[in-house]
Amino acid sequence: MLTFKGIIKNYKEPVLGPIDIDIKSKSFVSIIGASGSGKSTFLRMASGLISQSSGSIIYKDNVKPKMGFVFQDSTLLPWRNVIDNILLPLELTKKINSESLDKSLNWLERVGLKGKGKSFPSELSGGQKMRVSIARAMVQGGNFLLLDEPFSALDEVTRRKLEDDLLGIWETNNITVLFVTHSVTQAVYLSQRVLVLSSGPGIILEDLAIERNFKDSFEESPEFLSQVRHLTNILKVEGGAI
Amino acid sequence: MSRYLSYIAPLLTFVILLSLWEFLVILNKIPLYILPAPSDIISSLVVNYKDLFSSAFVTLRITIIAFIIASFLAIFLAILFSQSKLIELSLYPIAVIFQVTPVVAIAPLILIWVGFDNAEYAILILAIIVAFFPVLANANLGIKSVNDNLHELFSLYGSSRYQRLIKLQIPFALPFILTGMKTSIGLSLIGTVVAEFVAGSGTSTGLAWRIIEAGNRLDVAKLFAALILLVILGIFLFLLISYIEKIVLKKWHGSSIR
Repeated sequence: MLTFKGIIKNYKEPVLGPIDIDIKSKSFVSIIGASGSGKSTFLRMASGLISQSSGSIIYKDNVKPKMGFVFQDSTLLPWRNVIDNILLPLELTKKINSESLDKSLNWLERVGLKGKGKSFPSELSGGQKMRVSIARAMVQGGNFLLLDEPFSALDEVTRRKLEDDLLGIWETNNITVLFVTHSVTQAVYLSQRVLVLSSGPGIILEDLAIERNFKDSFEESPEFLSQVRHLTNILKVEGGAI
Repeated sequence: MSRYLSYIAPLLTFVILLSLWEFLVILNKIPLYILPAPSDIISSLVVNYKDLFSSAFVTLRITIIAFIIASFLAIFLAILFSQSKLIELSLYPIAVIFQVTPVVAIAPLILIWVGFDNAEYAILILAIIVAFFPVLANANLGIKSVNDNLHELFSLYGSSRYQRLIKLQIPFALPFILTGMKTSIGLSLIGTVVAEFVAGSGTSTGLAWRIIEAGNRLDVAKLFAALILLVILGIFLFLLISYIEKIVLKKWHGSSIR
Protein backbone atom coordinates (compact mmCIF):
# COMPACT_ATOMS: atom_id res chain seq x y z
CA MET A 1 0.00 0.00 0.00
CA LEU A 2 1.13 3.51 -0.80
CA THR A 3 -0.74 6.46 0.66
CA PHE A 4 -0.59 10.08 -0.41
CA LYS A 5 -1.88 12.22 2.44
CA GLY A 6 -2.51 15.90 1.75
CA ILE A 7 0.33 16.02 -0.72
CA ILE A 8 1.11 19.42 -2.21
CA LYS A 9 4.00 20.30 -4.45
CA ASN A 10 4.98 23.86 -5.24
CA TYR A 11 7.83 25.06 -7.36
CA LYS A 12 7.57 28.79 -8.01
CA GLU A 13 3.86 28.19 -8.32
CA PRO A 14 1.69 25.35 -7.03
CA VAL A 15 1.94 22.38 -9.45
CA LEU A 16 0.20 19.59 -7.64
CA GLY A 17 -2.26 18.95 -4.87
CA PRO A 18 -3.67 18.58 -2.47
CA ILE A 19 -3.70 14.87 -3.26
CA ASP A 20 -5.16 12.25 -0.96
CA ILE A 21 -5.12 8.76 -2.30
CA ASP A 22 -4.35 5.15 -1.49
CA ILE A 23 -2.66 2.91 -4.01
CA LYS A 24 -3.35 -0.72 -3.27
CA SER A 25 -0.55 -3.25 -3.44
CA LYS A 26 -0.38 -5.25 -6.67
CA SER A 27 -2.66 -2.84 -8.48
CA PHE A 28 -2.10 -1.27 -11.89
CA VAL A 29 -2.88 2.44 -11.72
CA SER A 30 -2.57 4.91 -14.58
CA ILE A 31 -2.35 8.64 -14.18
CA ILE A 32 -3.57 10.82 -17.04
CA GLY A 33 -3.99 14.54 -17.44
CA ALA A 34 -3.08 17.51 -19.57
CA SER A 35 0.49 18.71 -19.99
CA GLY A 36 1.56 20.51 -16.85
CA SER A 37 -0.96 18.72 -14.67
CA GLY A 38 1.81 17.31 -12.49
CA LYS A 39 1.63 13.65 -13.62
CA SER A 40 5.40 13.23 -13.66
CA THR A 41 5.74 15.17 -10.42
CA PHE A 42 3.27 12.74 -8.85
CA LEU A 43 5.37 9.80 -9.99
CA ARG A 44 8.65 11.34 -8.88
CA MET A 45 7.25 12.04 -5.44
CA ALA A 46 6.01 8.45 -5.18
CA SER A 47 9.53 7.26 -6.00
CA GLY A 48 11.17 9.65 -3.55
CA LEU A 49 13.08 11.40 -6.33
CA ILE A 50 11.59 14.70 -5.27
CA SER A 51 10.08 15.68 -1.97
CA GLN A 52 6.65 17.13 -1.40
CA SER A 53 6.17 20.71 -0.19
CA SER A 54 3.67 19.49 2.39
CA GLY A 55 1.76 16.36 3.29
CA SER A 56 3.15 12.89 3.67
CA ILE A 57 3.70 9.76 1.63
CA ILE A 58 3.22 6.63 3.68
CA TYR A 59 4.64 3.32 2.55
CA LYS A 60 3.50 -0.07 3.79
CA ASP A 61 5.14 -0.83 7.16
CA ASN A 62 6.71 2.64 6.91
CA VAL A 63 9.55 1.22 4.83
CA LYS A 64 10.17 2.60 1.38
CA PRO A 65 9.97 -0.36 -0.97
CA LYS A 66 12.44 -1.08 -3.74
CA MET A 67 11.25 0.77 -6.81
CA GLY A 68 12.04 0.50 -10.47
CA PHE A 69 11.56 3.56 -12.66
CA VAL A 70 11.14 3.64 -16.42
CA PHE A 71 11.59 7.07 -17.94
CA GLN A 72 10.14 8.52 -21.12
CA ASP A 73 13.40 7.84 -22.90
CA SER A 74 15.15 4.60 -22.15
CA THR A 75 18.00 6.29 -20.18
CA LEU A 76 20.37 3.47 -21.00
CA LEU A 77 24.05 4.26 -20.56
CA PRO A 78 25.33 4.10 -24.14
CA TRP A 79 28.84 3.04 -23.14
CA ARG A 80 27.54 -0.06 -21.38
CA ASN A 81 26.25 -3.14 -23.13
CA VAL A 82 22.74 -4.39 -22.43
CA ILE A 83 23.68 -6.73 -19.57
CA ASP A 84 25.80 -4.09 -17.87
CA ASN A 85 22.92 -1.67 -18.15
CA ILE A 86 20.57 -4.15 -16.51
CA LEU A 87 23.12 -4.76 -13.76
CA LEU A 88 23.42 -1.04 -12.98
CA PRO A 89 20.86 -0.88 -10.11
CA LEU A 90 22.52 -3.84 -8.42
CA GLU A 91 25.91 -2.16 -8.77
CA LEU A 92 24.71 1.15 -7.39
CA THR A 93 22.99 -0.46 -4.44
CA LYS A 94 26.02 -2.72 -3.93
CA LYS A 95 23.93 -5.84 -4.31
CA ILE A 96 26.11 -7.44 -6.94
CA ASN A 97 26.72 -11.10 -6.16
CA SER A 98 27.21 -14.39 -7.91
CA GLU A 99 23.55 -14.55 -8.88
CA SER A 100 23.36 -11.07 -10.37
CA LEU A 101 24.35 -12.09 -13.87
CA ASP A 102 21.84 -14.94 -13.93
CA LYS A 103 19.18 -12.56 -12.67
CA SER A 104 20.00 -10.08 -15.43
CA LEU A 105 20.03 -12.75 -18.11
CA ASN A 106 16.73 -14.04 -16.81
CA TRP A 107 15.15 -10.58 -17.10
CA LEU A 108 16.68 -10.13 -20.51
CA GLU A 109 14.93 -13.28 -21.62
CA ARG A 110 11.68 -12.23 -20.01
CA VAL A 111 11.61 -9.00 -21.96
CA GLY A 112 12.24 -10.96 -25.15
CA LEU A 113 15.85 -9.99 -25.78
CA LYS A 114 17.64 -13.28 -25.20
CA GLY A 115 21.03 -13.21 -26.89
CA LYS A 116 21.23 -9.42 -26.97
CA GLY A 117 23.23 -9.09 -23.75
CA LYS A 118 26.43 -8.02 -25.45
CA SER A 119 24.75 -5.51 -27.74
CA PHE A 120 25.15 -1.82 -27.12
CA PRO A 121 22.12 0.49 -26.92
CA SER A 122 23.08 2.05 -30.26
CA GLU A 123 22.51 -1.35 -31.84
CA LEU A 124 18.95 -1.64 -30.53
CA SER A 125 15.63 -0.30 -31.79
CA GLY A 126 13.55 2.11 -29.69
CA GLY A 127 11.28 -0.71 -28.52
CA GLN A 128 14.22 -2.94 -27.59
CA LYS A 129 15.81 -0.12 -25.60
CA MET A 130 12.60 0.30 -23.66
CA ARG A 131 12.51 -3.43 -22.95
CA VAL A 132 16.03 -3.21 -21.53
CA SER A 133 14.91 -0.26 -19.47
CA ILE A 134 12.04 -2.34 -18.04
CA ALA A 135 14.40 -5.24 -17.32
CA ARG A 136 16.74 -2.84 -15.52
CA ALA A 137 13.84 -1.49 -13.45
CA MET A 138 12.81 -5.01 -12.46
CA VAL A 139 16.19 -6.62 -11.80
CA GLN A 140 16.30 -5.53 -8.17
CA GLY A 141 13.21 -7.60 -7.49
CA GLY A 142 11.28 -4.60 -6.23
CA ASN A 143 7.53 -4.63 -5.87
CA PHE A 144 6.88 -1.18 -7.37
CA LEU A 145 7.29 -0.28 -10.99
CA LEU A 146 6.85 3.37 -11.96
CA LEU A 147 6.66 4.33 -15.62
CA ASP A 148 6.63 7.88 -16.98
CA GLU A 149 5.15 7.87 -20.49
CA PRO A 150 7.51 5.07 -21.46
CA PHE A 151 6.01 4.15 -24.83
CA SER A 152 5.13 7.58 -26.15
CA ALA A 153 7.95 7.67 -28.69
CA LEU A 154 7.26 4.21 -30.11
CA ASP A 155 5.29 3.22 -33.17
CA GLU A 156 1.80 1.76 -32.75
CA VAL A 157 2.70 -1.90 -33.27
CA THR A 158 5.74 -1.84 -30.97
CA ARG A 159 3.80 0.08 -28.36
CA ARG A 160 0.97 -2.42 -28.35
CA LYS A 161 3.39 -5.33 -28.01
CA LEU A 162 5.15 -3.63 -25.11
CA GLU A 163 1.85 -2.87 -23.39
CA ASP A 164 0.93 -6.56 -23.47
CA ASP A 165 4.38 -7.53 -22.22
CA LEU A 166 4.08 -5.02 -19.40
CA LEU A 167 0.72 -6.51 -18.42
CA GLY A 168 2.39 -9.93 -18.43
CA ILE A 169 5.16 -8.70 -16.13
CA TRP A 170 2.63 -7.11 -13.78
CA GLU A 171 0.50 -10.22 -13.64
CA THR A 172 3.31 -12.68 -13.06
CA ASN A 173 5.36 -10.63 -10.59
CA ASN A 174 2.72 -9.37 -8.19
CA ILE A 175 3.99 -5.84 -8.44
CA THR A 176 2.29 -2.48 -8.09
CA VAL A 177 2.47 -0.41 -11.25
CA LEU A 178 2.06 3.35 -11.47
CA PHE A 179 1.85 4.34 -15.11
CA VAL A 180 1.83 7.92 -16.36
CA THR A 181 0.47 8.41 -19.84
CA HIS A 182 -1.23 11.03 -21.95
CA SER A 183 -3.18 8.38 -23.83
CA VAL A 184 -6.66 7.65 -22.53
CA THR A 185 -6.99 4.42 -24.50
CA GLN A 186 -3.64 3.19 -23.23
CA ALA A 187 -4.64 3.99 -19.64
CA VAL A 188 -7.95 2.16 -19.95
CA TYR A 189 -6.40 -0.78 -21.77
CA LEU A 190 -3.67 -1.32 -19.18
CA SER A 191 -5.09 -0.34 -15.85
CA GLN A 192 -7.36 -1.42 -13.07
CA ARG A 193 -7.72 2.18 -12.04
CA VAL A 194 -7.23 5.52 -13.77
CA LEU A 195 -6.58 8.80 -11.99
CA VAL A 196 -7.31 11.96 -13.97
CA LEU A 197 -5.39 15.05 -12.91
CA SER A 198 -6.64 18.56 -13.59
CA SER A 199 -4.51 21.24 -15.23
CA GLY A 200 -2.02 22.77 -12.84
CA PRO A 201 -2.13 22.69 -9.95
CA GLY A 202 -3.12 19.08 -10.51
CA ILE A 203 -5.77 17.63 -8.32
CA ILE A 204 -7.58 14.35 -8.84
CA LEU A 205 -10.63 15.06 -10.98
CA GLU A 206 -11.64 11.48 -11.42
CA ASP A 207 -10.69 8.20 -9.83
CA LEU A 208 -12.11 5.56 -12.12
CA ALA A 209 -12.03 1.84 -11.47
CA ILE A 210 -11.75 0.10 -14.82
CA GLU A 211 -14.11 -2.74 -15.31
CA ARG A 212 -11.66 -4.82 -17.10
CA ASN A 213 -11.90 -8.22 -18.63
CA PHE A 214 -8.73 -9.84 -19.79
CA LYS A 215 -10.03 -11.12 -23.05
CA ASP A 216 -8.26 -10.19 -26.24
CA SER A 217 -11.29 -8.30 -27.41
CA PHE A 218 -11.42 -5.96 -24.42
CA GLU A 219 -10.55 -3.00 -26.60
CA GLU A 220 -13.55 -3.64 -28.81
CA SER A 221 -15.95 -4.11 -25.95
CA PRO A 222 -18.63 -1.52 -25.15
CA GLU A 223 -17.21 -1.19 -21.60
CA PHE A 224 -13.84 -0.19 -22.95
CA LEU A 225 -15.26 2.35 -25.35
CA SER A 226 -17.58 3.86 -22.77
CA GLN A 227 -14.76 4.27 -20.25
CA VAL A 228 -12.52 5.86 -22.86
CA ARG A 229 -15.34 8.21 -23.85
CA HIS A 230 -16.02 9.09 -20.23
CA LEU A 231 -12.38 9.96 -19.49
CA THR A 232 -11.98 11.80 -22.77
CA ASN A 233 -14.97 13.97 -21.96
CA ILE A 234 -13.50 14.85 -18.57
CA LEU A 235 -10.24 15.90 -20.21
CA LYS A 236 -12.09 17.84 -22.91
CA VAL A 237 -14.02 19.79 -20.30
CA GLU A 238 -10.78 20.37 -18.45
CA GLY A 239 -9.23 21.66 -21.69
CA GLY A 240 -6.47 19.12 -21.64
CA ALA A 241 -4.65 17.80 -24.65
CA ILE A 242 -5.31 14.14 -25.27
CA MET B 1 33.10 5.88 -56.08
CA SER B 2 32.68 8.94 -53.86
CA ARG B 3 34.86 7.27 -51.22
CA TYR B 4 37.80 6.95 -53.64
CA LEU B 5 37.11 10.43 -54.91
CA SER B 6 37.49 11.84 -51.41
CA TYR B 7 41.08 10.54 -51.42
CA ILE B 8 41.94 11.15 -55.05
CA ALA B 9 40.53 14.68 -55.40
CA PRO B 10 42.68 16.37 -52.73
CA LEU B 11 45.73 14.32 -53.70
CA LEU B 12 45.35 15.31 -57.33
CA THR B 13 44.85 18.96 -56.38
CA PHE B 14 47.99 18.81 -54.26
CA VAL B 15 50.06 17.29 -57.08
CA ILE B 16 48.76 19.89 -59.56
CA LEU B 17 49.60 22.76 -57.18
CA LEU B 18 53.10 21.40 -56.54
CA SER B 19 53.70 20.94 -60.28
CA LEU B 20 52.49 24.46 -60.93
CA TRP B 21 54.76 25.77 -58.18
CA GLU B 22 57.77 23.86 -59.62
CA PHE B 23 56.99 25.05 -63.13
CA LEU B 24 56.56 28.73 -62.15
CA VAL B 25 59.76 28.80 -60.10
CA ILE B 26 61.77 27.34 -63.00
CA LEU B 27 60.04 29.50 -65.61
CA ASN B 28 60.56 32.75 -63.69
CA LYS B 29 64.01 31.77 -62.42
CA ILE B 30 63.04 32.72 -58.87
CA PRO B 31 66.16 32.66 -56.68
CA LEU B 32 66.47 29.88 -54.10
CA TYR B 33 66.61 32.35 -51.21
CA ILE B 34 63.20 33.78 -52.16
CA LEU B 35 61.15 30.74 -53.15
CA PRO B 36 62.69 27.31 -53.69
CA ALA B 37 60.95 24.81 -55.94
CA PRO B 38 59.35 21.75 -54.29
CA SER B 39 62.20 19.62 -55.64
CA ASP B 40 64.72 21.88 -53.84
CA ILE B 41 62.78 21.53 -50.61
CA ILE B 42 62.78 17.74 -50.90
CA SER B 43 66.53 17.81 -51.61
CA SER B 44 67.08 19.96 -48.53
CA LEU B 45 64.96 17.56 -46.48
CA VAL B 46 67.11 14.64 -47.65
CA VAL B 47 70.42 16.48 -47.10
CA ASN B 48 69.47 17.88 -43.68
CA TYR B 49 67.41 14.94 -42.48
CA LYS B 50 69.60 14.29 -39.41
CA ASP B 51 69.30 17.85 -38.05
CA LEU B 52 65.67 18.20 -38.97
CA PHE B 53 64.47 14.84 -37.70
CA SER B 54 66.30 15.19 -34.38
CA SER B 55 64.73 18.64 -33.98
CA ALA B 56 61.33 17.28 -34.96
CA PHE B 57 61.76 14.64 -32.28
CA VAL B 58 62.55 17.35 -29.68
CA THR B 59 59.43 19.29 -30.66
CA LEU B 60 57.31 16.13 -30.74
CA ARG B 61 58.53 15.06 -27.29
CA ILE B 62 57.70 18.40 -25.68
CA THR B 63 54.37 18.57 -27.52
CA ILE B 64 53.28 15.15 -26.29
CA ILE B 65 54.46 15.70 -22.71
CA ALA B 66 52.72 19.10 -22.61
CA PHE B 67 49.57 17.60 -24.08
CA ILE B 68 49.46 14.76 -21.56
CA ILE B 69 50.10 17.05 -18.57
CA ALA B 70 47.58 19.62 -19.85
CA SER B 71 44.94 16.94 -20.41
CA PHE B 72 45.36 15.41 -16.96
CA LEU B 73 45.32 18.81 -15.28
CA ALA B 74 42.27 19.92 -17.23
CA ILE B 75 40.28 16.73 -16.56
CA PHE B 76 41.23 16.85 -12.89
CA LEU B 77 40.12 20.46 -12.66
CA ALA B 78 36.85 19.77 -14.51
CA ILE B 79 36.13 16.96 -12.02
CA LEU B 80 36.85 19.36 -9.15
CA PHE B 81 34.50 21.89 -10.73
CA SER B 82 31.76 19.26 -10.93
CA GLN B 83 32.10 18.54 -7.22
CA SER B 84 32.06 22.11 -5.98
CA LYS B 85 30.43 25.15 -7.49
CA LEU B 86 32.59 27.30 -5.22
CA ILE B 87 35.79 25.83 -6.64
CA GLU B 88 34.47 26.35 -10.16
CA LEU B 89 33.52 29.96 -9.46
CA SER B 90 36.91 30.57 -7.87
CA LEU B 91 39.17 28.90 -10.42
CA TYR B 92 37.42 29.12 -13.78
CA PRO B 93 38.13 32.86 -14.23
CA ILE B 94 41.83 32.18 -13.62
CA ALA B 95 41.77 29.47 -16.28
CA VAL B 96 40.12 31.94 -18.67
CA ILE B 97 42.80 34.54 -17.90
CA PHE B 98 45.48 32.01 -18.89
CA GLN B 99 43.53 31.20 -22.03
CA VAL B 100 43.13 34.78 -23.23
CA THR B 101 46.66 35.92 -22.42
CA PRO B 102 48.87 35.52 -25.51
CA VAL B 103 51.55 32.97 -24.83
CA VAL B 104 54.13 35.25 -26.46
CA ALA B 105 53.40 37.88 -23.84
CA ILE B 106 53.99 35.66 -20.84
CA ALA B 107 56.91 33.71 -22.32
CA PRO B 108 59.62 36.14 -21.11
CA LEU B 109 58.25 35.93 -17.60
CA ILE B 110 58.23 32.13 -17.59
CA LEU B 111 61.77 32.15 -19.04
CA ILE B 112 62.99 34.42 -16.25
CA TRP B 113 61.36 32.26 -13.61
CA VAL B 114 62.68 28.89 -14.82
CA GLY B 115 66.02 30.35 -15.93
CA PHE B 116 67.42 30.79 -19.40
CA ASP B 117 69.42 27.59 -18.98
CA ASN B 118 66.18 25.66 -18.62
CA ALA B 119 64.47 26.93 -21.75
CA GLU B 120 63.00 23.48 -22.38
CA TYR B 121 61.01 23.68 -19.13
CA ALA B 122 59.79 27.14 -20.09
CA ILE B 123 58.65 25.79 -23.46
CA LEU B 124 56.90 22.89 -21.74
CA ILE B 125 55.07 25.22 -19.35
CA LEU B 126 54.00 27.53 -22.17
CA ALA B 127 52.77 24.64 -24.29
CA ILE B 128 50.79 23.30 -21.32
CA ILE B 129 49.16 26.72 -20.85
CA VAL B 130 48.12 26.81 -24.52
CA ALA B 131 46.90 23.20 -24.64
CA PHE B 132 45.09 23.21 -21.32
CA PHE B 133 41.92 25.20 -21.93
CA PRO B 134 40.12 23.28 -24.70
CA VAL B 135 40.19 20.09 -22.65
CA LEU B 136 39.04 21.93 -19.53
CA ALA B 137 36.18 23.70 -21.34
CA ASN B 138 35.00 20.52 -23.07
CA ALA B 139 35.35 18.27 -20.03
CA ASN B 140 33.47 20.81 -17.96
CA LEU B 141 30.71 21.01 -20.56
CA GLY B 142 30.56 17.22 -20.89
CA ILE B 143 30.19 16.63 -17.17
CA LYS B 144 27.46 19.26 -17.00
CA SER B 145 25.63 17.85 -20.01
CA VAL B 146 24.49 14.65 -18.32
CA ASN B 147 20.73 14.72 -18.74
CA ASP B 148 18.40 15.02 -15.77
CA ASN B 149 16.80 11.61 -16.23
CA LEU B 150 20.17 9.90 -15.94
CA HIS B 151 20.89 11.85 -12.77
CA GLU B 152 17.47 10.84 -11.47
CA LEU B 153 18.18 7.21 -12.32
CA PHE B 154 21.32 7.33 -10.19
CA SER B 155 19.49 9.15 -7.40
CA LEU B 156 16.76 6.50 -7.40
CA TYR B 157 19.34 3.86 -6.50
CA GLY B 158 21.00 6.07 -3.90
CA SER B 159 24.31 6.31 -5.74
CA SER B 160 27.22 8.00 -4.00
CA ARG B 161 29.00 11.00 -5.49
CA TYR B 162 31.89 8.75 -6.40
CA GLN B 163 29.64 6.25 -8.20
CA ARG B 164 27.94 9.08 -10.04
CA LEU B 165 31.29 10.51 -11.12
CA ILE B 166 32.88 7.24 -12.19
CA LYS B 167 29.88 5.46 -13.66
CA LEU B 168 28.02 8.41 -15.15
CA GLN B 169 29.68 11.80 -15.44
CA ILE B 170 33.13 10.83 -16.67
CA PRO B 171 31.95 8.29 -19.27
CA PHE B 172 29.28 10.74 -20.43
CA ALA B 173 31.90 13.48 -20.78
CA LEU B 174 34.34 11.27 -22.68
CA PRO B 175 33.27 12.31 -26.21
CA PHE B 176 33.49 15.96 -25.12
CA ILE B 177 36.93 15.41 -23.57
CA LEU B 178 38.21 13.72 -26.71
CA THR B 179 36.91 16.57 -28.84
CA GLY B 180 38.79 18.97 -26.57
CA MET B 181 41.89 16.80 -26.90
CA LYS B 182 41.74 16.95 -30.70
CA THR B 183 41.89 20.74 -30.51
CA SER B 184 44.40 20.63 -27.69
CA ILE B 185 46.95 18.42 -29.45
CA GLY B 186 47.23 20.93 -32.28
CA LEU B 187 47.48 23.81 -29.85
CA SER B 188 50.12 21.94 -27.89
CA LEU B 189 52.25 21.75 -31.04
CA ILE B 190 51.61 25.41 -31.85
CA GLY B 191 52.38 26.34 -28.24
CA THR B 192 55.62 24.40 -28.32
CA VAL B 193 56.76 26.02 -31.57
CA VAL B 194 55.78 29.54 -30.48
CA ALA B 195 57.52 29.01 -27.15
CA GLU B 196 60.62 27.72 -28.94
CA PHE B 197 60.61 30.88 -31.06
CA VAL B 198 60.30 33.11 -28.03
CA ALA B 199 62.81 31.17 -25.96
CA GLY B 200 65.35 31.57 -28.73
CA SER B 201 68.14 29.07 -29.18
CA GLY B 202 69.26 28.45 -25.60
CA THR B 203 69.36 24.76 -24.90
CA SER B 204 66.37 24.04 -27.10
CA THR B 205 66.90 22.59 -30.55
CA GLY B 206 63.35 22.07 -31.68
CA LEU B 207 62.01 22.68 -35.15
CA ALA B 208 61.37 26.37 -34.46
CA TRP B 209 65.05 26.82 -33.77
CA ARG B 210 65.86 25.15 -37.12
CA ILE B 211 63.45 27.56 -38.81
CA ILE B 212 65.11 30.58 -37.17
CA GLU B 213 68.55 29.23 -38.03
CA ALA B 214 67.58 28.57 -41.66
CA GLY B 215 65.94 32.00 -41.92
CA ASN B 216 69.05 33.75 -40.63
CA ARG B 217 71.12 31.94 -43.25
CA LEU B 218 68.56 32.58 -45.99
CA ASP B 219 68.36 28.82 -46.43
CA VAL B 220 64.71 29.01 -47.45
CA ALA B 221 64.63 25.45 -48.75
CA LYS B 222 65.61 24.13 -45.32
CA LEU B 223 63.09 26.49 -43.74
CA PHE B 224 60.37 24.99 -45.92
CA ALA B 225 61.63 21.49 -45.12
CA ALA B 226 61.27 22.23 -41.38
CA LEU B 227 57.81 23.63 -42.04
CA ILE B 228 56.81 20.46 -43.87
CA LEU B 229 57.94 18.38 -40.92
CA LEU B 230 55.87 20.58 -38.62
CA VAL B 231 52.79 20.08 -40.79
CA ILE B 232 53.40 16.33 -40.87
CA LEU B 233 53.76 16.31 -37.07
CA GLY B 234 50.51 18.23 -36.68
CA ILE B 235 48.60 15.91 -38.99
CA PHE B 236 50.12 12.81 -37.37
CA LEU B 237 49.13 13.98 -33.87
CA PHE B 238 45.60 14.89 -34.96
CA LEU B 239 45.12 11.52 -36.65
CA LEU B 240 46.51 9.77 -33.59
CA ILE B 241 43.95 11.37 -31.29
CA SER B 242 41.18 10.81 -33.85
CA TYR B 243 42.15 7.14 -33.95
CA ILE B 244 42.15 6.90 -30.16
CA GLU B 245 38.74 8.60 -30.16
CA LYS B 246 37.41 6.07 -32.62
CA ILE B 247 38.72 3.13 -30.58
CA VAL B 248 37.41 4.50 -27.29
CA LEU B 249 33.98 5.50 -28.57
CA LYS B 250 33.62 2.53 -30.88
CA LYS B 251 30.17 0.95 -30.68
CA TRP B 252 28.52 3.46 -28.41
CA HIS B 253 28.87 7.00 -29.61
CA GLY B 254 27.24 8.39 -32.73
CA SER B 255 30.46 10.04 -33.92
CA SER B 256 32.24 6.67 -34.15
CA ILE B 257 29.43 4.43 -35.29
CA ARG B 258 29.14 3.76 -38.98
